[in-house]
Amino acid sequence: MLELPELDPVVHGKLRLAVLSLLVGVEEADFTWLRDKTGSTDGNLGAQMLKLEEAGYVAMQKRFAGRKPQTLYRMTPAGRKALAKYVAALKRLLGGAL
Amino acid sequence: MANFEAEGGTTRDDLVQRVALMEEMIAEGRQSTARFGWCFVLWGVITLIGIGCQYFQPNSYWDLPVVSAVGIVIQLIGIAIRRRSGHTSNKNMQSRAIAAVWGMTGLAMVVYLGPGIMMHDTGWFFYVPTIFMFLGLAHAISAIILRWWVQGVVAGLWWAGEIAVCFFAFDYMRKIFVAEMVVCMVLFGLYAMWLERRRAAALEQHHA
Repeated sequence: MLELPELDPVVHGKLRLAVLSLLVGVEEADFTWLRDKTGSTDGNLGAQMLKLEEAGYVAMQKRFAGRKPQTLYRMTPAGRKALAKYVAALKRLLGGAL
Repeated sequence: MANFEAEGGTTRDDLVQRVALMEEMIAEGRQSTARFGWCFVLWGVITLIGIGCQYFQPNSYWDLPVVSAVGIVIQLIGIAIRRRSGHTSNKNMQSRAIAAVWGMTGLAMVVYLGPGIMMHDTGWFFYVPTIFMFLGLAHAISAIILRWWVQGVVAGLWWAGEIAVCFFAFDYMRKIFVAEMVVCMVLFGLYAMWLERRRAAALEQHHA
C-alpha cells in the first residue's frame, strides 16, 4: 500500500472525484445530468453531493425550470483548489505514470 | 463506468484508475449536451413552406410574415417543452458560445429581414446572398468551436451558394435557394438529430 497522507479523502471517493471532474469543465450542471454522466443512482449521488457540499467544494442551488424543480451544482473556488491539490498529489505518487 | 462502491482504494492500480476516471469525466463535461438538430429541420421546412406559398400565390403578401411567425412560435414551444420535460443539461463555455452564435445570427436576420418582410419587399436578389452569408458565417464559427468538419462543409456550401446566386438569373436563384435549404438545413438537421440520438443511445449503453 502507498502512503497517502496528502490525498484528500473527500476528493478521493470515486463518485465524488467523478462529479468534481465533471464540474471542473462546466459552469454549472443539474443533478440529472450528473447522475446520467456518472451512471449512479439518485440516492448515492445525493449522499455524495451532500458530502461535497459540507466540505465546501460544491455549491447547490434549487430553481424551477417551468414547473419542474431543478437542482443545480457548481464547483466552488475551494473545490477547484482541492481538486488541483489532489491532482498534484497523484502526480507525485504516480510519477511517470501521469 | 467505474465501480463507485470501492471508495478507499489506495494501491497504484487504484490511483491509475482514478486518473483514467478523471480524464473520462473531464472529457464528458466538455461535451455539450445541447440538441439543436430539430431547429435546422424546423427552419428549413418553414422556409420551404414560405417559398412554396409565394410560388403558388405570388400576390399574397402575408405568406412569409405568417409562416415566419409560426416558425418562431413553434421554436418557443419546442424550447418550453424541452425545459418542462426536464431535459438534462450542463452549461459550459462551448455550449454558451454556440448558443450565442446562433442566437445572435437569428436576431441579426430578424433585424435585417424583418422590415423587408413586413413591408412586403421580398426582393430575392437583395436578400438571398445576405441570408447565405449569415448562415455560412454562423456555421463556420460553429464548426470551428465544435471542431466538426461536417458543419464546415455546410458553411462552404452556403458561401458557394452565395457566390453562385450572383451569376445566375432569378429562376436559378430560387432553385439554388431551395436546394440550399433542403441540403444545408433539412438534411443537415436530420443528420444532427441522428447523431444526437446515437450519442444518447451510446451513453445509455455505456451505463448499462
